[in-house]
Amino acid sequence: SEDYSLLQYDDLSSSPQLFTPMSPYGVDLPIQTTEDVLFGSQFNQPKELPTDFSVDLSFLPDITQDNKEQNLSEYGHETQKELDGSISRNEDSSVFMDESSLSYLDATQPSPEASGMCPPMTPMTPMTPVTPASESSGIVPQLQNIVSTVNLACKLDLKNIALRARNAEYNPKRFAAVIMRIREPRTTALIFSSGKIVCTGAKSEEQSRLAARKYARVVQKLGFPAKFLDFKIQNMVGSCDVRFPIRLEGLVLTHPQFSSYEPELFPGLIYRMVKPRIVLLIFVSGKVVLTGAKERSEIYEAFENIYPILKAFKKAS
Amino acid sequence: MAARGCCPSCGSAALVEDAHYAQQQLVCAACGCVLAEGLLTTTYTEEEHLREVTYSQSTGQKEQLSRCLQRGIRRVRDICKVLQLPTVFEETAVSYFQRALQHTSFHLVSLEKKELLGGCCVFVTCRQHNWPLTMGTICSLLYAKQELFASVYLSLQKELGLSVPALSLADLVKTHLNSFRLFQHAADIPAPFVEDKEKMVARTMQIVELAGETWLVTGRHPVPIVTAAAFLSWQSLQPAARLTCTFARFCKLAGVDLPPPAHLRLKELLEILLRMASKLAWLRVFNMDKKTVVKHIGDLLQHRIFLLKNAFCLEDEEEQCATALSEGSPSSPPAAGGAAQEKGHPLEGKRQREGSPRPLLPPCLINPRKRLRTAALSASDSAITGDEPISDSEIEQYLRGPEEVRAFRKAKAWQ
Repeated sequence: SEDYSLLQYDDLSSSPQLFTPMSPYGVDLPIQTTEDVLFGSQFNQPKELPTDFSVDLSFLPDITQDNKEQNLSEYGHETQKELDGSISRNEDSSVFMDESSLSYLDATQPSPEASGMCPPMTPMTPMTPVTPASESSGIVPQLQNIVSTVNLACKLDLKNIALRARNAEYNPKRFAAVIMRIREPRTTALIFSSGKIVCTGAKSEEQSRLAARKYARVVQKLGFPAKFLDFKIQNMVGSCDVRFPIRLEGLVLTHPQFSSYEPELFPGLIYRMVKPRIVLLIFVSGKVVLTGAKERSEIYEAFENIYPILKAFKKAS
Repeated sequence: MAARGCCPSCGSAALVEDAHYAQQQLVCAACGCVLAEGLLTTTYTEEEHLREVTYSQSTGQKEQLSRCLQRGIRRVRDICKVLQLPTVFEETAVSYFQRALQHTSFHLVSLEKKELLGGCCVFVTCRQHNWPLTMGTICSLLYAKQELFASVYLSLQKELGLSVPALSLADLVKTHLNSFRLFQHAADIPAPFVEDKEKMVARTMQIVELAGETWLVTGRHPVPIVTAAAFLSWQSLQPAARLTCTFARFCKLAGVDLPPPAHLRLKELLEILLRMASKLAWLRVFNMDKKTVVKHIGDLLQHRIFLLKNAFCLEDEEEQCATALSEGSPSSPPAAGGAAQEKGHPLEGKRQREGSPRPLLPPCLINPRKRLRTAALSASDSAITGDEPISDSEIEQYLRGPEEVRAFRKAKAWQ
């Protein structure tokens, strides 16, 4: 079985470290390593601290060493906050952190190391270069839209579908597909006569998959032999707010190869990041839109890459 | 035919035209020195008229270029000539155009887009040399829709990987004011409205810089800002005579367009100036309003650094005080030592009077539009795995019953 004592986190010297050393890690910490639950819980602060720490971890997926390192190096600071919330009960109340501030921690906070309760942790070798937690933003981009496609592998009679489905609209003169909507998850689908579906509007990958399955079911119930092949997430859009105004004209001067800022055309700066290959729309208000991702991690990585650049700008102005 | 001149080697005046094989030569009859050789010509008519046939024509260089490319290049050169750009720009623009047309994404576009492509190349060249050309100008030259121009421009930038520096506002002020008609006396312009160009340019630049420092420029179209700044500077140079003139009238007299956002920019500029005026010692006694503050723009601009610092609390102080309030930590470093006192209490500041400092932020942050914030994923949503079972009843709610289908079919039959 996995040795969870290896679940250390890099460079958290400036973040409050609240765990008691090395004691049965696996038992003490309700670690949720599946990404979506991790981030879902960011927005879902439990009202009370969980007092029961005996957790059955057998549900955790098999994590290979690579996966683990990557997950932890990238999301180490996120899980850190999870731990903070749950462990602080064991510590002095002076280091207790308010639940609501967990999501937006500015990581340049003083650490309670002063109180002398943090043991040195063995750092793991990260797969990707880790930004020290003192610079990590503490802001998590929120996914706004997921676009996915799936192949039903059968030809469809769009007129028939539009006739027999309540939630469908079909105007062949304008567009050669049926536009269908479902309420839960609230999404829209474009259904083509070739049997391919484009599903948009979901807020998470799982929602998108569930929605696509529901559309496939509708088509099935209408009498077509629909399958569910090659489901693929094509694009993910996220957004967040850095909470300070940004001098776009300065940013385009320091990063001309990546930035395109044309106030005559569009009020935001278009930043084409190379690694990961994400397009960011940066606005003067500090709001950032990230798009072009095939995976959630790309959005988070892109934001962590841009945040220090934006922050440097803020001080310079 | 009689040859002219003297032979350079022997000085003899006896020069004859002779043919060496088929090549015409000008030879000295005395010493045999060849003075000039005939030019290679391609057509008999050219030879007859003794006109030089240029290299590009004789080597078929032009024929190698497609007609479309030739036409495009000619158009690019014409645009450069109309804008009176230096020849260097012309060459650069033509080379960009040729490079661009080779790309698959531009090779097969419509003629309209190819014409826009030429304009885009000129535009990019100008911007790279910091020549303040706006998209509006190019679009009007090309009779193009700005959205189409924008899409061609962005794809050009991406395909050729060009880095285009931002438009320099200072240069834009100069070029924009060049088109104003208020610098010379004319029949339709009242005498007190005529202004000295240098003074107006200088003051407009200062106001535009002020707008830049106070976040009025970032993200906004530059021309309305310059127009509003020009109006304010013009009014302030002779307020007595000009305060009664409206913005619209000013633009009409100056012979320029009044872009719709300019009114808002004017309002924002006046708000900034009023706040600054409230900090100027000898103006505090007056009740300033939008009209009267114009009279004092000169003073305000002169002391703008001091006034900006006092009229607005800087944004990093705002952020510091936000974290200070939430954490109460003494170790977070204050941005400016002296201002540390204020930042803890931005709202209950020392200046309790009307001119209490507001944060220096872009207008979109000061007056946020009420927007429906999309709620974050709820607990139930985030627990979705994507593999949940789908109930029949849920799907059936989306399907029409047979009577409904019949009724719908009947209704549709009317269409």
